[in-house]
Amino acid sequence: MKRNAIILLSIVAMLMASCKSEKKLESYSDIYRERPNVIYVAPLNDLSTRRALRTPEDSLYNISLNIAAQQLFLTATDPLVFNGYYVPGPLASAQIAATEWRTGKQLRNDSIGDLKTDLGIDAVLFITIHGWAFTSNSWTVEVEYVLRSTVKGNEWMHVLVKAKKILPTDFKGNPLPLRDDELFALQYGCDLETAQRCRLVETLNKYVLKDLPGGKRSREHRTERYIRSHPEYFNFVIHPDGSVQMQQTEMFTELTEKDE
Amino acid sequence: MKNRFYTRKLLLMHRVSRFLILNFSFLILLAGCSGEYIGVPRAEVLSYQTVSTYGGLHALATSYAKKLNDAVAADTLHPGMYAEYGVTLALMGHTGTACRMLNAEVKAFPESRGLVQRIKQRLMPDMLGDTLAALRDTANLAQLASWAYDSLTALKPLPYVAPVIDSTDTAWLNRQTPVDSVKIPIELSANEKRELLEQQQAAEALRKQEIADSIAAAKQAAIDAKKQAKAEREQAKKDKEKLRKEEKKVREQQREEERKQKAAQREEEKRQKEAAREAERKAREAERKAREAEKKNNKK
Repeated sequence: MKRNAIILLSIVAMLMASCKSEKKLESYSDIYRERPNVIYVAPLNDLSTRRALRTPEDSLYNISLNIAAQQLFLTATDPLVFNGYYVPGPLASAQIAATEWRTGKQLRNDSIGDLKTDLGIDAVLFITIHGWAFTSNSWTVEVEYVLRSTVKGNEWMHVLVKAKKILPTDFKGNPLPLRDDELFALQYGCDLETAQRCRLVETLNKYVLKDLPGGKRSREHRTERYIRSHPEYFNFVIHPDGSVQMQQTEMFTELTEKDE
Repeated sequence: MKNRFYTRKLLLMHRVSRFLILNFSFLILLAGCSGEYIGVPRAEVLSYQTVSTYGGLHALATSYAKKLNDAVAADTLHPGMYAEYGVTLALMGHTGTACRMLNAEVKAFPESRGLVQRIKQRLMPDMLGDTLAALRDTANLAQLASWAYDSLTALKPLPYVAPVIDSTDTAWLNRQTPVDSVKIPIELSANEKRELLEQQQAAEALRKQEIADSIAAAKQAAIDAKKQAKAEREQAKKDKEKLRKEEKKVREQQREEERKQKAAQREEEKRQKEAAREAERKAREAERKAREAEKKNNKK
């Protein structure tokens, strides 16, 4: 009787733990105080190990990691832009990074007040990839995010995330490819493993940076996002070559026989 | 009974953990299905950053122009779109149009003035003074976007071949765009990154070796100085000891001489005393003899 009660209690505790509501990673009181507008994403610091080039698979593996790192850098701007911040695009950021004489370590630790006075940047986002891991049906990546103020030099956000993507498996335990990953691979012209890595880092960026407080332009972007997030307002057409066409429609339009 | 109980327990735990894992993977899938940011043509940027060719740059510029045109028409202009298009055009060599696009960025988003100035300083330094005029420019942004699109389509199009990643071909890793010959950190290929890393590691190793050598030399010098100081100290100690011995010997000799002198003096004094006593005794004897002789005379 006593044993049964203990087992039941442990199961209830586990279920309660799994149903726990999502918490915000940081409180961001400093961001609310300083009200930043321009956020610059610094060049990515990739510390993950590459393979020595001995076989073609090694080369493919290294290229895959490079593409995933670039995808992480490219998609880091999305949540920030949707939150209403001004974020320079990838090519503009690369040009700005080329004029920077300091190393990444110096940018992270030293005074960066000149970025505010010269370029008008309010904060810098540093992203570091610490490593990748792969099992038979899961991808794991360890990424560090640091958001640093250029005015006071303090860190507004410092997150170290270990993200894992678990793929569904068949009855033999072999991983099954996801439709989204296949579409991504088709659209970007890369292999499935690269696509899986890219989708993982993209999701990770959205998860980590979505809770940041809204910037100056947050209201207009929020309304735009609201419209785009409702499928009733749009028609999606996915072509055989992988391209997606989006068309705005009226609400409550009934399907005709031709459409069916 | 006990075994049966544990088997049931394990089965239950397995089912719960499986349910949790499935739940988590489903959440990840849901999170990955959200929309894409339309401001940046990501596939083109990714392919250009992987293999930097002029054709890729042209495809990128075309995508940017299309997106910009659509965004301005639908009033969904994202920050940085004009600047990105301007940078692409500048990398292609069309600095006039690029400057106009960068100015449009400043007009649409005044907070980007510093960034645009820095980009101009790098790509078109002779057009730096044009940025302030952008704020006073009365041209409509929609007209500007459509004009940019038309001007791009009027350019001679280059055939764009999508890059195929061939693992055996590594020659493209060192290929550079003719316009953008300056290497920028984000466009480093895997080989260049590795070479850079190896160079940095070699420089770091050399620096560490130099530091280690200097530390070892300093340590050796310190040890030598210590040894010399010890030897000097020992020599000084020996000298001091020798000096002390000599002084002691001299002092002993002096003391011996003093003692001898004192003994001689004492002897002399003794002799003088004895002589005086002898003389006194002789005088007393003579006196006694004289007295006796006087007594004899008196008796007689």
